[in-house]
Amino acid sequence: MARKMLIDGELEKPNEEKTQYDFDLFVIGAGSGGVRASRFSAQYGAKVGICELPFHPISTEVIGGVGGTCVIRGCVPKKILVYGASFGSELEDARGYGWELNERIDFNWKKLLLKKTEEIVRLNGIYKRMLANAGVKLFEGEGKVVGPNEVEVNQLDGTKISYSAKHILIATGSRAQRPAIPGQELAITSDEALSLEELPKRAVILGGGYIAVEFASIWRGMGASVDLCFRKELPLRGFDDEMRAVVARNLEGRGVNMHPRTTLTELVKTEDGIKVRTDHGEELLADVVLFATGRTPNTKRLNLEAVGIELDKNGAVKVDEYSRTNIPSIWAIGDVTDRMNLTPVALMEGTCFAKTVFGEQPSKPDYSHVPCAVFCIPPLSVVGLSEEQAIDQANGDVLVFTSTFNPMKNTISGRQEKTVMKLVVDGETDKVLGASMCGPDAAEIIQGIAVALKCGATKAQFDSTVGIHPSAAEEFVTMRSVSRRIAAGKPKNNL
Amino acid sequence: NVNIIEFLGKWGQAIARARCAFAIMLHLNEGRFWATWRCVLRGCVPKKLLVYASKYSHEFEESCGFGWKYAAEPEHDWSTLIANKNAEIQRLTGIYKSTLKNAGVELIEGRGKIVDPHTVDVDGKLYSAKNILISVGGRPFIPDIPGSEYVVDSDAALDLPSKPKKIAIVGGGYIAVEFAGIFNGLQSDVHVFIRQKKVLRGFDEEIRDFVGEQMLLRGIEIHTEQSPQAIIKSSDGSLSLKTNKGTIDGFSHIMFATGRKPNTKNLGLESVGVKLKENGAIEVDEYSQTSVPSIWAVGDVTDRINLTPVALMEGGALAKTLFANKPTKPEYRAVPSAVFSQPPIGQVGLTEEQAIKEYGDVDVYTANFRPLKATLSGLPDRIFMKLIACAKTDKVLGLHICGEDSPEIIQGFAVAVKAGLTKADFDATVGIHPTAAEELVTMRTPTRKLRRTPSEGKTDSEFKAAAGV
Repeated sequence: MARKMLIDGELEKPNEEKTQYDFDLFVIGAGSGGVRASRFSAQYGAKVGICELPFHPISTEVIGGVGGTCVIRGCVPKKILVYGASFGSELEDARGYGWELNERIDFNWKKLLLKKTEEIVRLNGIYKRMLANAGVKLFEGEGKVVGPNEVEVNQLDGTKISYSAKHILIATGSRAQRPAIPGQELAITSDEALSLEELPKRAVILGGGYIAVEFASIWRGMGASVDLCFRKELPLRGFDDEMRAVVARNLEGRGVNMHPRTTLTELVKTEDGIKVRTDHGEELLADVVLFATGRTPNTKRLNLEAVGIELDKNGAVKVDEYSRTNIPSIWAIGDVTDRMNLTPVALMEGTCFAKTVFGEQPSKPDYSHVPCAVFCIPPLSVVGLSEEQAIDQANGDVLVFTSTFNPMKNTISGRQEKTVMKLVVDGETDKVLGASMCGPDAAEIIQGIAVALKCGATKAQFDSTVGIHPSAAEEFVTMRSVSRRIAAGKPKNNL
Repeated sequence: NVNIIEFLGKWGQAIARARCAFAIMLHLNEGRFWATWRCVLRGCVPKKLLVYASKYSHEFEESCGFGWKYAAEPEHDWSTLIANKNAEIQRLTGIYKSTLKNAGVELIEGRGKIVDPHTVDVDGKLYSAKNILISVGGRPFIPDIPGSEYVVDSDAALDLPSKPKKIAIVGGGYIAVEFAGIFNGLQSDVHVFIRQKKVLRGFDEEIRDFVGEQMLLRGIEIHTEQSPQAIIKSSDGSLSLKTNKGTIDGFSHIMFATGRKPNTKNLGLESVGVKLKENGAIEVDEYSQTSVPSIWAVGDVTDRINLTPVALMEGGALAKTLFANKPTKPEYRAVPSAVFSQPPIGQVGLTEEQAIKEYGDVDVYTANFRPLKATLSGLPDRIFMKLIACAKTDKVLGLHICGEDSPEIIQGFAVAVKAGLTKADFDATVGIHPTAAEELVTMRTPTRKLRRTPSEGKTDSEFKAAAGV
């Protein structure tokens, strides 16, 4: 099928009654969602094309890379930095166990960054191979939607190529937003933070979400002085309040300077670094100022309005339960739809899309009981309802079981950092509505708990499971006494 | 008339929590004035602390790949570790004693012996009891071979005066494998001698292969198909181990981890009529009652599943049966367990071999991958995971993992397996990213599908599966 070339910017008239398309599916964006949807659709026999911006660790409107945010400037490099930072306190703890180490152990940020980059480049290559192995055709360039069945790719050499597709999938993800604070150009976002030349000695972070909290832990773990400024009383709004308090306490315990109910009003460049003013009149000096104040969907340059695709007020593509937009042949998944912005959810959306459109099995992604983790040090992981949500939603009483203890490892190292684990149970049905944990290995522990919760496991079922000893996880199956019982109908107090 | 429980171990805690009036006696172990709570003093707890200590050498290596640099190679001081370990154990002992006290349990220190179905003798003083519970646990078994007096068992290994330079560990079970990891991590030269071809008999075969490989990669030498015959001490104090295959010299220590036997000698059991099994374990029914109606037994002394949480379960069930008017049987299906080798193992449910035997048609999913940490550290660490599902009902029959954090990972999945959840339930659960655990909910393609060909005279596996077993 001949491709149409744009000559002098004029689009050739489309053929009438075109029933044959260049592709059954054309995907714009080769991140977690896009790659999953492409591969699985191809496995169902679809002819798939996908386009992605050229690769670079730091994204712009026209730079990205196969693998997307998760692989290049999200989950993966973040976890690598968390590992790097965690060693700091581990090495301190080793002394209590008899290890003789120098007073100061050197940390080479550049070496870590180099290895991080090697790894993301390697993964980028793997993702390209995965697409090739699945028979998906990859185009490098910026994709735009031209019509209900037409996309246009602006290639690197400037030429534009357009393709017809029975279905179009938008999976362009999101990017960090920068608040309009005077001097904002002096600040960086998470993209740059994951690729800094030098480890900052002093860092100021604006934001209360998981990205802000994770970077606070990372830089503090590497020895930097860190000031964390956030709007609410506690970081991690939306999470269980008790757990938010634990995270805040831990950050403080590790030496992060916490500034609740604070925002920044101005950034000024000085000889000694960036002078940061807060709305409390405080002045901080920083080598690096990180804005971690949210991410916005990447929809500006896709030409969506021209095609009539509906967006919400944040610029996210509106979709139905099957990830279909208001244009029947156009779909969207992942962060660009701003539903649950997690890689495994994008994967789920991509899988369901492929099943629905090419697998003849209409499948809706299920957003209930999606577990997630915040990789602060120590990490937080949750699944199901927070205590506040449970009180709000449950018909009957809500029972809360908690276990707070200093993990065994700390007893010898002398570290005072309590692990908190919590189960929220429906008093009527005995179903476990939510589980959360803040402590070492929380994310690894919660995964299995999530399977049980998703399937409606009761507290009795948890209790009838024998523990593994000695572990932290066994606490989840040995919580015998109720910490508190909240009677049905009690009003909630959200922070 | 007091309810007396002859107490040793953690299940006593479970009994205590049942809030009844009890008296407890402590069994002294060869004159040492410790309460010999196995788990806290000589088992799980000190073992785990030593594992933590020994893991650091691997972490130092790992950290180099993440940019950490050491001016000098970190060195380990054994005496600091043992002193801190003992301080912690003392602290825990104090806590356990308080727990008993707060529960209203009377603690009597002394050597207990049963006189008749309702009488116990503690160092000459007699106490009458409505019920007697025996929970004296087990102790290491060392075969009676020439030179066995030079051998250390796990008790002694946890309290050595100095770190072994070169140690021979005889045994292939979890204790041998855990100590091999401990001493290897603390920079001793470690040699393991096993009778079989692989360590950890009874575990899933692929796990046995995998952990064996990983142990070799860490520098542990495993000598297979060898049976110990004698230990010879030389004039310079070093020890030699003679096996059926030859003699190896130069060991500073030889440790035997060759099994544990129930502690039933000198308790007066035979005279009162309590039936024992061949290995000395006390025979009990499903309610932990012995052949004498007023005498009960739980924990390692009954040699059922010798794990602390199982002992807790048995103790808790007994308390309910005796005093809460709720006859309760401990449930042994899908009991998860861990081996704190390096890397550690976590498992729940059936091995592949057991699953094939019981269910016939099974689907096996495996993953063998390098975790993210290892791609940066450059070390040959890997993780192995296996999920076994019944082909007929899709129920998850067994899970086996070997790799960093396996024990912590398995716990939550054990709830799912115990609840009878299916592979589809696993697959419907969204992963947590990035973790190792998420692999278990993203295994799409079976590595192998095993279908038993119909054979004469054997139980029809399909029939069994259909019956919901």
